Amino acid sequence: MSTTSPATAQTAVELIGITKRFGAFVANEDVNLTVKRGEIHAIIGENGAGKTTLMNILFGLLQPDEGKIRLNGQDTVVGDPATAISAGLGMVHQHFKLVPSLSVADNVFLGMEIRRNGLIDHATQIAKTRELSERFGLKVEPEERVSLLSVGIEQRIEILKVLARGARTIILDEPTAVLTPQESRELFQTLRGFVAGGMTVIFISHHLEEVMEVSDTVTVLRHGKHVATRPTAELTKADMVRMMVGRDVSFDRRPREKTDGQVVLDVKNLWARDDRRLPALRDATFTVRGGEIVGIAGVAGNGQTELAEVLSGLRPASHGSAMLKGSDLTALSTAAIREAGLAHVPGDRLVRGVDGSASISSNLLMGRQNKAPWSRNGILDWRAAGNQAVEMIKRFDIRARGPEDTVKRLSGGNIQKVVLAREFTNDADFLLIDQPTRGVDIGAQESIHDEIMRQRASGRAVLVISVQLDELLTLADRILVMFNGRIMGEVDGGSADSERIGMMMAGLEPGIVSDEVAS
Amino acid sequence: MNDKLRAFSGQIVAVVIALAIGAVIIMLIDESPTKVFMTLMRGAFGDQAKIAGTLLQTTPILICGIAACIGLRGGMFNVGIEGQLFLGGFAAAWVGFAMPLPPGLHVVVAMTVAVIAGAAWVSIPAFFRTRYGTNEVVSTILSNYVAVLLTSYLTIFLFKRPGGWSETPPILATAYLPELFAFSRLNWGLIIGLALALFVAWFFRSTAKGYSISMVGSAPKFAEYGGIDVKRQGFMVLLASGAVGGLAGGIETLGVHHRFMEGFAPGFGFDGLIAALLANGSPIGTIVTALFFGALRNGSLLLETDTNASREIITVIQALIILSVSAQVLMKRRGDSTAGERRWKF
Repeated sequence: MSTTSPATAQTAVELIGITKRFGAFVANEDVNLTVKRGEIHAIIGENGAGKTTLMNILFGLLQPDEGKIRLNGQDTVVGDPATAISAGLGMVHQHFKLVPSLSVADNVFLGMEIRRNGLIDHATQIAKTRELSERFGLKVEPEERVSLLSVGIEQRIEILKVLARGARTIILDEPTAVLTPQESRELFQTLRGFVAGGMTVIFISHHLEEVMEVSDTVTVLRHGKHVATRPTAELTKADMVRMMVGRDVSFDRRPREKTDGQVVLDVKNLWARDDRRLPALRDATFTVRGGEIVGIAGVAGNGQTELAEVLSGLRPASHGSAMLKGSDLTALSTAAIREAGLAHVPGDRLVRGVDGSASISSNLLMGRQNKAPWSRNGILDWRAAGNQAVEMIKRFDIRARGPEDTVKRLSGGNIQKVVLAREFTNDADFLLIDQPTRGVDIGAQESIHDEIMRQRASGRAVLVISVQLDELLTLADRILVMFNGRIMGEVDGGSADSERIGMMMAGLEPGIVSDEVAS
Repeated sequence: MNDKLRAFSGQIVAVVIALAIGAVIIMLIDESPTKVFMTLMRGAFGDQAKIAGTLLQTTPILICGIAACIGLRGGMFNVGIEGQLFLGGFAAAWVGFAMPLPPGLHVVVAMTVAVIAGAAWVSIPAFFRTRYGTNEVVSTILSNYVAVLLTSYLTIFLFKRPGGWSETPPILATAYLPELFAFSRLNWGLIIGLALALFVAWFFRSTAKGYSISMVGSAPKFAEYGGIDVKRQGFMVLLASGAVGGLAGGIETLGVHHRFMEGFAPGFGFDGLIAALLANGSPIGTIVTALFFGALRNGSLLLETDTNASREIITVIQALIILSVSAQVLMKRRGDSTAGERRWKF
């Protein structure tokens, strides 16, 4: 479908001297970027470094204040996405834009429906989707409804949408943020297939492991400026972090004092069902002591979500108990569980963790709206709430214009800090932290880890659920590995062998009924 | 604050667009838009009596609007205000004519019964919503028909005043809601409505309950996570909304008609809902939008005598406002989705 790509051009994309301002804020300052044809080019940088702005400019969603764009060797004014698409660019956004009630094929051809006699020609759409799917190794079932599919497959559909529009250069904005490790690996394979076929991939990420694994060239942005563009092979992870953050950041295991706290959380034979009413958490038994961080490792979707939801009262248990200092959480409402001493950092922070449309002060008030000094006799004291917000913004280094700033305007990392600020300052004995640093940039990850270690030091019992094994190896005293709803085993955080944990994450440990592995 | 201002500027643009299209339609029927709009203005605000008439029309729209605001803020779309108004009106009238009580007390009891009737009526959809997740929009719309016809039945077959009209006997003078001026039927209902708007605005801004309800409305999963009983709040919100709808009916019968008449207050419930939507669910904003709709209604009375336009033109203008507000909301949402993404991280 793309007609305007002279195969002779060596560079797929050239951005020259791009500057973009939002009011007084400079999102991109004199940024140069050259992406060669047939490479996977990673763009890395912390949140707020200007990666997404740059890509939105390239794709015509934003207009630069200065600078010019050259596509396939030709100067191009990308006034709108249509121009970008006709020049062979395609963008896969971080937040998917699919219609859940429509089929895969209908979504792929949404807005460019194939018609026959004025009606949508479903049969041809399905056939073409299947053909694209097979050609590029993106396995989908064209007739299935999107609402029934997993996030990983939704992403494939987004990529197919872009391919169906004839893209030769594909921009992916943090494509792995929502994927399981396996799904990520499959995605990388697909991307390699693309470049092997002469296509070009631009890949925004701050997962450095992945950048190392998949990219040919890396461009680093910091505070809206271009820091470096280098072949990936010449760089180490530490080099990249230094260029992104501007200083050295450590992800070594955190030093710690040995503690010997009381059992705070005692979970026995806990079972729960998922939304399809199938057993998703099977017979979990473990304890968490005061002054201890217990990590839950596992590939996403192996019962961790259900475990967190049962412990926080958002999902009923079908069997078993979870005693928090003498009260059984499985019998309590969310309010009563919080009263009993739970603080909870939810995994899907945008849905559960905050009201994006409300201010920071208002978000920090949740759970305290009936407590002094924030309210007396049912009347709120917004000044106290504002003061609290000012204090938390300072203590947790939340980058915002002020306590009245709307939460959805903040970056992912800063939204997470709002949640942490609220939950960590509850006088709770038990902290349930689901994906502490998902989508959070590296500088902020370090400070979140610092904060979790401080909570441990203050004697709280901490349960950290994370799909990033590195994170658990940094933080946890003990690591429990979940597979298919079961706790497969426990390893010591200090002497953990990631090989063995990986085996358990894949369900490869003796003692499991084989049919469960198969399901 | 900036955001709020921008949100409202959108609504104003919507109204202007609606009036502009309305003007074109007026031209199509060979009438001068200037003349029609001037006549509307004169009919609404031309003299003391006309202003009082406008405020009289504004009162039920305002109170129904507040009922809608309560629902909207709590994430519940109560489209049954019309029905709650009818039942509240009937209940108040019944207390008014059938239950002799001392002055003062009589009004209070009749109003209380109106409030209870409104709340009781909405409690049926509210129960199904909370217990089984039945969509409240559908069930409250349907309950309107039942309410209107039920009150007609009660009026015609059980409590009909002897004589030609389909109306109940007049209420006793002890149950009259006092009038404000000698020259108009404008009564204390307006004051009650204004006070209620201020109270509801204060409630949502400054109380812990109001905060919880707003959170259920704007981010239900967050509210649930934060320990708020989302179902219970939803039930209470619908009940409160229905109670205010009942109050609106009580004020109409006790203050204006002094009896219940079949079809006594057509469309106030819906106008109130539109006023609340146009005000973005803000009770204070609803004072302004209710006044606007009240002025349109009252001004239209003069249209038929002084111009060639039929008074139905105001229905057309209202419909156009709904259309352009909806369009604005949709466009804003579309704008937001990309703007949000841009803002998400630069």
